[in-house]
Amino acid sequence: MRSTRAGVATAIMVLPATVLYAVMLVVPVGLALYLSLTDWDGFSASPSLVGAANYADLLVDPDLRRSAIVTLLVAAVGTAGLNLLGLGFALLVNGASRANSFFRMVLFYPHVLSALVVGFLWSAILGTTGAVNSFITTRGGEVLPFLSDPTWATITMIAVLVWAGFGVNVVLYLAGLQAVPAALVEAAEIDGATRWQVFRNVTLPALGPSVTVNIVLSLVTLLKTYDLVVSLTAGGPAGQTQTVAYLILWNSFHDARLGFGSAQSVVLMIVTAALAFVVTRLRRRGEMAVHQ
Amino acid sequence: MTLVLTACGGGGFADEAATQADEGGVTEVRVLVNITPNLTQTYWDGLVKTFEDANPGIDVKIEAPTGKGVADTLQQQLAAGNPPDVVETLMVDKTMAPQMLDLTGQPWVKGTPLVEEGSLGGKVYTVGVGEQAQSLVFYNKAAFEKAGISKPPTTYDELSEAMAKLKDSGYLPLRTAGDFVTGLQLLQLSGPARAVSHPQWHQDIGAGRLKAGESMLPHLERYKTWIDKGYVDKNALGVKYADGETGFFSGKSAMYVMGSWFTASVAKAEPDFEVGVFPAPVEKGQSYPGPQGATMAAPYMVLKGTAHKDAALKLVQWLVTDKAAVTSQLQQDGNFRSGYERKFTPLEAEVQKILDEAPSRVAQGEGYGENTLPRGFNSAWNTEVQGLYVGKSPREVATAVDRWVDGRS
Repeated sequence: MRSTRAGVATAIMVLPATVLYAVMLVVPVGLALYLSLTDWDGFSASPSLVGAANYADLLVDPDLRRSAIVTLLVAAVGTAGLNLLGLGFALLVNGASRANSFFRMVLFYPHVLSALVVGFLWSAILGTTGAVNSFITTRGGEVLPFLSDPTWATITMIAVLVWAGFGVNVVLYLAGLQAVPAALVEAAEIDGATRWQVFRNVTLPALGPSVTVNIVLSLVTLLKTYDLVVSLTAGGPAGQTQTVAYLILWNSFHDARLGFGSAQSVVLMIVTAALAFVVTRLRRRGEMAVHQ
Repeated sequence: MTLVLTACGGGGFADEAATQADEGGVTEVRVLVNITPNLTQTYWDGLVKTFEDANPGIDVKIEAPTGKGVADTLQQQLAAGNPPDVVETLMVDKTMAPQMLDLTGQPWVKGTPLVEEGSLGGKVYTVGVGEQAQSLVFYNKAAFEKAGISKPPTTYDELSEAMAKLKDSGYLPLRTAGDFVTGLQLLQLSGPARAVSHPQWHQDIGAGRLKAGESMLPHLERYKTWIDKGYVDKNALGVKYADGETGFFSGKSAMYVMGSWFTASVAKAEPDFEVGVFPAPVEKGQSYPGPQGATMAAPYMVLKGTAHKDAALKLVQWLVTDKAAVTSQLQQDGNFRSGYERKFTPLEAEVQKILDEAPSRVAQGEGYGENTLPRGFNSAWNTEVQGLYVGKSPREVATAVDRWVDGRS
């Protein structure tokens, strides 16, 4: 009797969260799956079922192939950049002092700005007629094609993404550094370990869980890159910086192919989840090996 | 997430809201409009106030896009079951037609600009305030004078020759930009000649009798030579639309291809040189000026599902036929309409003359009405044309365009 009452109470307490989860996640994902099997254009009242036709189209879509490569590049290089800078700066500003508090705020500041604003800002700085090129050309130099050459534009986009996002990684790594046992560091130093040896053999292994969280969060965020593309490059030059998320929105609304866009969304969702799962498993295996 | 949430609708909030509004004795007509630097929310509110004053039973609610643009917002509102009564800026196509009210029977639609060209299946869904000329080349008169060009070019060969002279005189011959501008300018520049070479271009492509990219290959090849010779800035793709305009106003470039709305920018910028305008050149042997690319300015459509059909129709009729309302909209956005006098700048007067002298009006690019290519053509074209700047050959660009069209047909 008592256990039944406890079960009912648990169910009642879990219910609001379950409903919220269903409404905010399960229903939209279910709808996306359904729409991906239709030819809905966003205007008509009733979409027609087309089976797996949208998924078949995905396989032969050259735009998707190109944007998938760009997205994976952005995710891989961006994740590396975010984590290297995040960890590096976290080590630099670790410890309680006024200067460190100030620099933590400065490092986190770009993340507070909207990605759209960041994109327009850097476009004004790095565009062909932007501040940097104006400075160069007024001194007789050649224009640097930050946003007009496909390779340069991709590098610029990744650099701006890293600049705008690594503040979060700094904060997460700082939190991780608080958990590194001071006694271990002290013991290593007494044993004559250099700073690099302390970092390599004590700090970094202890930061294992933080590294995993940072990598997964960075990866998932970068795989969904959209707004910065809109404001910085608009997908150009020649579509060379279009990401999958950008393409999904473009196909869905601009080209009125919501069914096709939904199929792309479903695939992106699966790929993101799979990559996050694989990275987490690999990291966990690595962490366990360290602790053994 | 947004994509999916838009699909959550399908309900009928519009009817409910309408009933509530009607119970209060005032009918609310919701109008989804495009907000631009010229057409601000304040301007729209002021425009319809006159109508509201003359029609005390109707309250017009101007709504700005909540999405990336009017089309996205309309899609989201339709999906949410909460569409506006009237939508501005969009022109009907086969996708939208089932959602729009057939205006063919309304006597006042006759005589509105481009009404026949914009019709679909013989039915009128879209009515506009005026028209925008598309195939115009604005030029720096001082640059032409310095380069020894006595009259604007009328053929592409003359245009290329003029570009060479302008380059030798120290000017960037043609100002271009990234964003959507690259592809748009080539469509605008090639429009008149293409309309002569392929009078049924849109229909022929739709019926599979003609390849879009293949038919534009000569224009792509010519454009590529301009890039190679430095007649356009090889780094133009790193220039935003607004910066392209600013670049022209700096006086270092000689020509800028754009639609008639650019006259408003010229008036605002007041450059320290005189700006002239001429219709886009044509191929050697073709009659000049060629057909002028034209689009409907401030097009309006009434949603079929509106609960306030009479009030919505009354408003749209007023917007496209009332002398003061039309003149105000034309003035505000630098558009044109025969028979509606407004204060012209000298440059605007030149554009009106070009429109008056054009042998016909033609749709360009994605087009409208019966002359429509698959939705998204202009963007796909733009992306591929930009490829010319990053190493693609004209043939590769043409093939990619054709592949895109085939994939959407």
